[in-house]
Formats: sequence, structure tokens, C-alpha cells
Amino acid sequence: MGLLDGLRAILGSRAEVDAGRDADSDDLFGMSTAYLTMQADLGYESLDVGALCFSGVDSSDFRDAVDEVEAILEAGREETGTEFSVTSDDHGYHWVVLTDDDPEDLITSMHFAADTFIEHGYGSRLLAAVFAYENRDGPAYWIYSFRRGRFYPFVPRDGRERDSSAEFTLESALDGELEIEREKEYWYPLWPSEGGTHPWE
Amino acid sequence: MNWQADWGLRFRMFVTMFLLFALYIVFAGVITAYVGGGLLLFGLFFGGFSLVQYYFSDTLTLRSMGAKTVSADEYPQLHASIERLSQQADLPKPKVAVVDSKVPNAFATGRNQRNAAVCVTTGLMNTLEQDELDGVLAHELAHVKNRDMMVMTIASFLSTIAFMMVRWGAFFGGGHSRGRGGGGGGIVVAILVSLVVWIISYLLIRALSRYREYAADRGAAAITGNPSALASALLKISGEMDKVPKDDMREEAEMNAFFIIPIRSGVIGRLFSTHPPTERRVEQLRDLEREMQAF
Repeated sequence: MGLLDGLRAILGSRAEVDAGRDADSDDLFGMSTAYLTMQADLGYESLDVGALCFSGVDSSDFRDAVDEVEAILEAGREETGTEFSVTSDDHGYHWVVLTDDDPEDLITSMHFAADTFIEHGYGSRLLAAVFAYENRDGPAYWIYSFRRGRFYPFVPRDGRERDSSAEFTLESALDGELEIEREKEYWYPLWPSEGGTHPWE
Repeated sequence: MNWQADWGLRFRMFVTMFLLFALYIVFAGVITAYVGGGLLLFGLFFGGFSLVQYYFSDTLTLRSMGAKTVSADEYPQLHASIERLSQQADLPKPKVAVVDSKVPNAFATGRNQRNAAVCVTTGLMNTLEQDELDGVLAHELAHVKNRDMMVMTIASFLSTIAFMMVRWGAFFGGGHSRGRGGGGGGIVVAILVSLVVWIISYLLIRALSRYREYAADRGAAAITGNPSALASALLKISGEMDKVPKDDMREEAEMNAFFIIPIRSGVIGRLFSTHPPTERRVEQLRDLEREMQAF
């Protein structure tokens, strides 16, 4: 905790400032080499899907921002071939789900979408970016936390269990390639909705 | 979020803290000058208790409130909400506890972010809609993030000593000074000074506590992006609070500082209340909502 952080805490504005802190979408590009490592070294196949999770703001300006994100993705679809949809989950969070079998294009489209939110001043509403993989044991995800500016692995198994050994393997294998979240208490899971699926499934 | 920082609030908080510490410096000076170390040591001993309490605050507070830590299996929705909100607030997930009580209320405890706990009553969960509950939970997480437990404990530390001196000073200090011969006058001065310090610090601490509530409301609004939901939660809770009889929870008066709505205990002047009036808080949240809509 830096001096400024301490001062903010003492003046009671740390929660406000931190929750409103803007995201940096450039970190998403860290994933582009990770795709290769995941496939070549670890035997994980890409599911060719990525998703951005954001919490809504009840204002017309925010709805305009979402409209613009959709417009940009629509325009980019011809060039990159990235398909997308906008959905919400039963926690009340919204998702931009992108599909593309070229990881480079997928990341570029995600970066565009995140950047548009940030340009509109809603970077602080971006919660997470999710990159989906799969091996014979089931799905595995890399989650990027916009709040922390770090990646962490999430390997869900049936019954809301996490495969921590698989997560450990992913963490150590991608160390150095991705900015990895060191503090494990920030490795927040993103469990499936009531229906048993994730928004990107 | 894109609304303006409330510099007025920060300034008032700063002035209050400044006055409090100036008061404490004078207090410590007078006590050492008139009585020497004996009484001060005695006071520090009792003050130490409040620090010990602070170190065990998470478990002590939960236990004294009859709260039970609950797992994600028992309250999946509550856990999921707190997880998402902590993530947005950039906090490690706190412990989640529930009190079986009809009174709708919530509080946060814990000396730092790593052993914090957020506790809600079953009445709160039954009374509020999901987005309102999120607002209240975010308010409690903002308390954790703003380190309110630490700030308030440190602010009250010397006030506790002053209180102990008023209460036990004559008994303890009197015995000693007779032994040394003379110095009885010093004890009287010390007790009078302690009394004045205690009263002034009490008022300042209450003011500080009210400012922390405003700050936590703003923090909650920034976390959820939805000031109106918290405002409607506050209105609902305060309406409910009026209907509920003033029962045994009044005994937990000192816990009030961390309740979202203080338990009412008759007619107490504004100066003495730890929380700002609901209408004022709702008004401030409405301002935030307006600022947000203006974008």
C-alpha cells in the first residue's frame, strides 16, 4: 500500500476511487502468445471464444456506449470475421461474447470492444475478460481481471469444484508470458448460471 | 466512476481528524505534566484492551452479534453477489456471515482486508430486492476498503483512555498519591481534563463516523454503478426499522458505528448519532444519480 493509498483510505475515498479506476485494455494482447503455449506445450485446444463481462449503468449515455461497442464489432465483422453477441447473466452482469477461430482476430476484437468502453469513460465497469480452452479433462479458462490488471486460471469441474492442480499447472506454465495475479484470493471464479452454462457456451 | 470527488466531505473529515489529534496531544501533555506516568500507564493498559479487541474484531464482533459464518452451499446467491462486488471493488473475498434476525441490517468487521467479514441479517435478505441488497453489500465492502474499522479504532483509542480515567482515575490515582504525599490536586485536574477530552472527542468521533458513512455510500455507488438501488434500500430499511420494536439489540450500542442504520434509542441529538439521517444519505445518492444521468 503506497502513501497515496493510505491517505485515500484515511479520508475514506479508497473504495470510491478504486471502484472507479479505469481499465487498461492493452493487457489483453498478452494472450496472443499464450494461445500458442497453451496449444503446443500444454495440449489445450482453443474453444475460439472470448467474452467480456461488464456491469451496467442505468443511464442513456451508457446504453449509447454499448450501442457503439455493437456497431464497432458489427463493422469489424467483415474484416476479422469475428461473430459476437451481447447477453446478460443471472447476476445482472452483461457479456459481450465473441467467436473467431483466429486467436489474433479474437483478441483484436476484444481489445476494440474494451477500448470503446474505456473511451466512453466506462472502463471502470469492465470486470473481466475470459478466454476459453479445453483439454480431455474439460474446459479451462484464463480470466483477465480489469480491476487488478492481471490474468489468472480458472478450471471449473462439476459441483462447483475447481481443479486447483490444473490451475497450478497453467499458472506455472504461463508464468512470464502473462501478467499473472500473484494473490490467490483474487482468483475469483465465474461459475455457470442457474441453467448450468456460462454466457459464452 | 465519472462523477466528481466530494472534496467538501474529505475536507470535513480531515478537519475532524486534525482536531481530534490536536485534542489528544494536549490531553497527553496535560496528563504527563500533572500526574506523571502512573495514571497514564494505567490508562494505556485499558486503552490496550481496545487494541486487543481490534485485533480480534472479526471473530469478536461476529460472536457478539450472534452471527454465523455461512458457506457458499448454504447461501449461494449471497456468496455470488459478494464475490462479484469484491471483484469490482478490488478486494479479496471477505467471510460471509448471517444473523438470524427480523431486523434488516448489515455490518462489516475485521481489522484489514484479509480478515474482513460482511454480515447480513435474514431480515435484510427478505426485505430487499437483489439490486438493493447489492447496494448494501457494496456499502459494507466500501467500509472494508476504506479501512473504517482501523480509522475508527485509532480515533477512539485515547478517547477510551480518557473515559477510563474519568471512571477509575480517582480510585487508582488517589491511592497512589496519598502514598507519595501531595499530588492529590493533580488527580482532580487530570480527571477534569479527561472528562472534557472525553466529551469533545466523543462528539468528534461521532461526526467522523457520519462522514465515513457518506464516503461508504459513495464507494457503494461507485462499486455497483447504481446509486438509486442503495437509496431505495436505505429507505426500505429505515421504514422497517421504525416498525420494529426497540428490543435487545440496543445493548449492542457500541457496534452501531458499523451498522448501516443505527439502532434507534429514543431521542438522541444529531451530534450523538453515528450515522447521518437517512434522508440526507438518500439526497446525496440522488445527486450522484443525477450526475451519472447527466453524462
